[in-house]
Amino acid sequence: MTQMAQANDQRKKQALHTPIVGPDYGSKWLADFREAAVNLFNRIGYPKADDEQWRFINLSPITQTAFQPVVEPGAVPPAELARFSLADRGFYELVFVDGLFSPALSSSRGLVGLIEFHNFKDAVGGHSERIGRYLGHELPTISNGFAALNAAGFADGMFLYLPAGVAVDKPIHILWITTAHRRPVVVFPRLLINACSQSQATVMQTFASLNSDHPVLTNAATEVISGRDSQLELIAVEREAPQAFHITNQAIHVHAGANVQTLAFNSGALLVRNNLNVHLAEPFAQATINGLTISSGNQRVDNHTTLDHASENCPSHELYKTLLAGSAAGVFRGKILVRPDAQKTDSKQTSKTMLLSDQAVMNSQPQLEIYANDVKCTHGSTTGPIDDEQLFYLQSRGVSEVQARSLLTYAFAGDVLNRVLNPAAREYLSQLTSDCLHQLHIDAVGS
Amino acid sequence: MALLEVKNLHAKVLGREILKGVDLTINPGEVHAIMGPNGSGKSTLASVLAGRENYEVTDGTALFNGKDILDLSPDERACEGLFLAFQYPVEIPGVSTSYFLKAAVNAIRKYRGEPELDAMDFLKLIKEKMKLLEMDQSFMNRSINEGFSGGEKKRNEIFQMTVLDPQLCILDETDSGLDIDALKIVSQGVNALRNSTRGILLVTHYQRLLNYIVPDFVHVLRDGKIIKSGDKSLALELEAKGYGWLENAA
Ligand SMILES: Nc1ncnc2c1ncn2[C@@H]1O[C@H](COP(=O)(O)OP(=O)(O)O)[C@@H](O)[C@H]1O
Ligand SMILES: [Mg+2]
Repeated sequence: MTQMAQANDQRKKQALHTPIVGPDYGSKWLADFREAAVNLFNRIGYPKADDEQWRFINLSPITQTAFQPVVEPGAVPPAELARFSLADRGFYELVFVDGLFSPALSSSRGLVGLIEFHNFKDAVGGHSERIGRYLGHELPTISNGFAALNAAGFADGMFLYLPAGVAVDKPIHILWITTAHRRPVVVFPRLLINACSQSQATVMQTFASLNSDHPVLTNAATEVISGRDSQLELIAVEREAPQAFHITNQAIHVHAGANVQTLAFNSGALLVRNNLNVHLAEPFAQATINGLTISSGNQRVDNHTTLDHASENCPSHELYKTLLAGSAAGVFRGKILVRPDAQKTDSKQTSKTMLLSDQAVMNSQPQLEIYANDVKCTHGSTTGPIDDEQLFYLQSRGVSEVQARSLLTYAFAGDVLNRVLNPAAREYLSQLTSDCLHQLHIDAVGS
Repeated sequence: MALLEVKNLHAKVLGREILKGVDLTINPGEVHAIMGPNGSGKSTLASVLAGRENYEVTDGTALFNGKDILDLSPDERACEGLFLAFQYPVEIPGVSTSYFLKAAVNAIRKYRGEPELDAMDFLKLIKEKMKLLEMDQSFMNRSINEGFSGGEKKRNEIFQMTVLDPQLCILDETDSGLDIDALKIVSQGVNALRNSTRGILLVTHYQRLLNYIVPDFVHVLRDGKIIKSGDKSLALELEAKGYGWLENAA
């Protein structure tokens, strides 16, 4: 093919993918917002194969599938809801089914009056206007086609407003659950958090999809404004169905003295791409960003993070751990951007990978861009198998190979789990990790 | 029946033959010492018996209680009653000693058809053994061997051995890295395990340990073969004359 013909072909493909446009619910700002997003997508399209930020991931299964929006949300069998619900573990819970808020499945008693929370679809008048004011405020820092498609297409979303000084007593769980459909469907979960000064909360999102014969595409976006001296723990748990595609864009704006901690936990889906951008905008803003990935089979997991140090005296810590079995492949790209004003930046990045098979591969790279002179930035990356000496030691005391591998991989993941601040969240994630690992070893060793 | 019966054992590591026909029989109640210069294959013998990967047995047999153990996995051998105290115990950050040891105790109990210990019974068991080895309680909450001194690691090995109650104890250079006080405590722990049914195999380079744990038999391993066996006086002779003496004798 000539270059011209190739370009033509390319254009045709993209023409096939006109953005899905969600309803505007009678609100002018939303109609404008959608229009801007459509225009952006039409301009930039999907990430190109040669885009440095996307070249490790094959997007064609996504771009060549005609994913449809969900017209009518499906039913969630109680047993499936129970698999993912954390209401019994002491969480407030807000449930979205196929992208739409389901008050009936949610447990928000006690949350009303403590904070404000509104789903986009049903927010009216002043509430709606306020959502409009913040929405898209942070996400432009991540400018890619998927973020634009989310903005154009979301059917609903959640807005959490934490008033100044409020400490939310229990963690808030936002469960996005996609039911089984008779064709490939796309959902656009969207969460917006405005945490006012000195507020405190743990917010966990779970992205779940039920087993289906057709693939699901979750294209999620999360925007967070962390006000002065606020403390936020933001956890994203990806537990998609095995044939799902999962793409997230998350942008966090951290004000002076605020402390944000994140965790990206990935265990499901065929293909995962997480973009995280943390903007340390004012002095003494802090961020601790963590990741834990457990993958097997043919899973592909790509974590891209950016710690954007835009102001002085901001510490940041990053710890991403990846466990890969089968023929799984992982990517970690951690960018640390230290802008000229960001003197006295103290940033530490660590990426560690454990390969549980000879076929699993990891590509881990730091990316440092430093434009200030008085800074401390360290980074380290290790990739290796389970330590045979350790395995032999445990087995020589009577512990079976499956259990020994579980213990060692769990210990590897433990660093990340120990960092989780909220005890209920930590307990749940520890259990989930242990279950995932046990399954992994049973599949691998056979027992 | 012999507890351990090794016959004509040949083993390779990375394609190189290290054990070149070892014969060794240990009966219940006996304490054997294997001595020999560095590199003679003592640790290799211990590793092959415990089932370490990458050690290829090319000839010979090893029966434990009459059962061929060479095809068993390391954990199955442990469950059968074999214990190896390592020359260099590995550090395992993130795995707590108590969690691991409880898993080990219960794996072995399950294998033997005994009921598993609950948290209370387990605690009682380990408290008793810790006292014997003069160990601090806090130690159970630490990760396995992490940040331990050489002596602490060795003591931890003997502690685990007393908790797991094996039938055959193989101690690989347990005395190295121990000061005299620690050596006495560790020896006490081992001597407390001596009884009419258990077998003990001490692997050591130096005679010192044998002053505290007195063996019934002493063997000299050289270049992958046992070249001389005798009683405890052989160890003293070796100490006085050095391994060179045997070279001439052989
Ligand atoms: N894992 C191994 N890899 C390579 N060589 C080994 C390994 N284990 C032992 N050897 C070699 O086997 C020989 C015997 O070693 P070892 O059994 O440790 O002797 P000893 O314990 O008597 O000092 C040495 O030459 C040593 O280098
Ligand atoms: Mg040795």
